[in-house]
Amino acid sequence: MMQSDVPQPQTEPGQAVAEEGLVILDGPDGVAVTMTPDAAELTGQSLIDAAVVARAQAPDLP
Amino acid sequence: MRLEAAISDVRLIEPRTKLVRAGEELTQSTLLIEGFMSRHIDDRKGLRQLVAVHVPGDFVDLHGYPLKTLDHDVATLTSATIGIVPHQALAAIEHDAPDLARKLWFATLLDAAIHRAWLFRLGRLDAVGRVAHFLCETNARLVVAGLSDGRRFALGITQNDLAEICGLTDVHINRVVRALREEGLCFFRSSLVEIPDLTRLAARAQFDPAYLYIDEEASDALVNRGSRQ
Repeated sequence: MMQSDVPQPQTEPGQAVAEEGLVILDGPDGVAVTMTPDAAELTGQSLIDAAVVARAQAPDLP
Repeated sequence: MRLEAAISDVRLIEPRTKLVRAGEELTQSTLLIEGFMSRHIDDRKGLRQLVAVHVPGDFVDLHGYPLKTLDHDVATLTSATIGIVPHQALAAIEHDAPDLARKLWFATLLDAAIHRAWLFRLGRLDAVGRVAHFLCETNARLVVAGLSDGRRFALGITQNDLAEICGLTDVHINRVVRALREEGLCFFRSSLVEIPDLTRLAARAQFDPAYLYIDEEASDALVNRGSRQ
């Protein structure tokens, strides 16, 4: 069976840093985005909320 | 027949001058003799994504000959010297000079190969990788044009241009340029790029110049001079 070449879910977290009053999220792979602190906080909370739901959908996945 | 014979006019163009607008009907194409030019697409907010950068020797909008209109704008980044090639002259080359026509066909295929590499860059690389990849590619293309010794070249674009090429904000570009400098991979200041260790920079960028179809002589120069410490 051929291995799928489509992008796979990332198992490594992205790295966020503060720079000149903004938040930069760099990686994984093609992710490279700059956000205001407000947008970063809301995105972070949205990610955490989605992670809770995702765990409930597939409790056996890491 | 030589391509130079097809040039009807040579013009010096100011920096940041738009030469072609998307959708306008074209009767001529532009050969870049000196300077840097870009092709770009603006989003609905007017924010620009550069989709190609052209170096001396490039036939910037050769594809405008068969297409008759472009789907993007063409502009100078720096001051530029351009040769105007009327589409009538290209038609004559197509019919009377098949060897030259084949070289022009090759140029458009090379253009497509570079576009594929740009897709890879934006889709798969992080911010440092994107900038490193663009600088490796530009270095290789300028080696071919005789404008880089493989480790140092003039690049008259701004960090804002670099941001629009790599899909990053200017703040992010600042950080990336600093990271490249601190890691000793590349120095980009005052329109001069210096690459102390091309092998390390290429590894960071996942850059393989095979898609540029560089001839052996230029390729040797790229490897031997580029790796020199």
